Amino acid sequence: MPVSQAARRSFDFLERCLSHVAEHWPQLSLSAGGHVGRLRNRLSQRWPSPEQVHTLFPSLSRHEAATVAWKIGGIEARNRILARYLEKDGDRMLPGLMPRPAPVLSRLHPPLILGFFHVGAPHALGAVFEWLPVPVLALRLGLRRPAVPTLTVLTIEGSTQQRALVFSRAMAHLRACGVVASALDFVSGPSLTVPFLGRSLELARGPFAMARLAGVPLVPLAARWYGGTVEVEVGDELVADGFSSPEICERKLATAATGWLENYLRSDPGEMGLGLLHRLVLSSDK
Amino acid sequence: MPPMKAKITPADGVREILRKRVPRAKDLDDLPDELQLGEGGLGLDSIALVELLLECERLFRLPPPLALLDGPPLTVGLLAEHVRASACR
Repeated sequence: MPVSQAARRSFDFLERCLSHVAEHWPQLSLSAGGHVGRLRNRLSQRWPSPEQVHTLFPSLSRHEAATVAWKIGGIEARNRILARYLEKDGDRMLPGLMPRPAPVLSRLHPPLILGFFHVGAPHALGAVFEWLPVPVLALRLGLRRPAVPTLTVLTIEGSTQQRALVFSRAMAHLRACGVVASALDFVSGPSLTVPFLGRSLELARGPFAMARLAGVPLVPLAARWYGGTVEVEVGDELVADGFSSPEICERKLATAATGWLENYLRSDPGEMGLGLLHRLVLSSDK
Repeated sequence: MPPMKAKITPADGVREILRKRVPRAKDLDDLPDELQLGEGGLGLDSIALVELLLECERLFRLPPPLALLDGPPLTVGLLAEHVRASACR
């Protein structure tokens, strides 16, 4: 067996063990997972490679790009451990990831749409939603048992009409002064493309159209790991102006949301999600 | 004596909105009852479908059309019938 294959299997095994350890010591397991992921990236120089990081952040030196790649590798390993654990027992673990409400959450005034990107710790957002003062309706691909009692999950999978039904339910939730949470960078239906990090990024149109139609603000946010717990970063409220055409209005919202993310990632490129990074690198190869 | 205005039925109203909003509907001579609004018919995407129903909700003072979406594929006839039934309530 080639050394690289043996090493990959060893790291996979280690991560599986850590997801079992998470049942008893979640913070320890996630924190250790971060170190294992860093080491894995450092040895493999892959997922992502320093060159890929440098392609997206050309102002970084080679050494800085390598350090960012290690961090992304560590975050990805934590995310894999958490995702594996959530499939088994999300109810028990998620609340412990954010033991106290983040002060920035007091800036949120429902009704509103929380638009997140696949950066940092997206699987841990349920822990953030638990601290919101109103019920949260999360839109995601595929159903998963809600991790906290105030969270409802609807899937965006299905036919056009099924997605329209989910959209309408989310609108009704906003009318009742709730919070709707949705990924902005995952496209399962209508989309729009905006500039991002010198490239272009395809976003889901739904959350922006929803903000426009419901007349509620969209707030970009991202969760990030801090040891074995999570922190959250929240942007300013982005409000749909009532004067532009629907297309221009949605594009303005989308550009503002990605502008927030771009600033966030430029200040800490290691928070870039591996999937998002690959999408952007591939789009630049075209 | 001015000519009498013909009363607009819900079905006519729905067809008028479709012709106004949906590019594909403008080109069709007839919008039969069985014509689907989404895939395989007028081709409305999920957001366009919601916007159409919101406009019907506003114009015809309908309740939010969740039940309508939670059923068989939406057609011109089903939407017209929903408008008619809601008007009778």
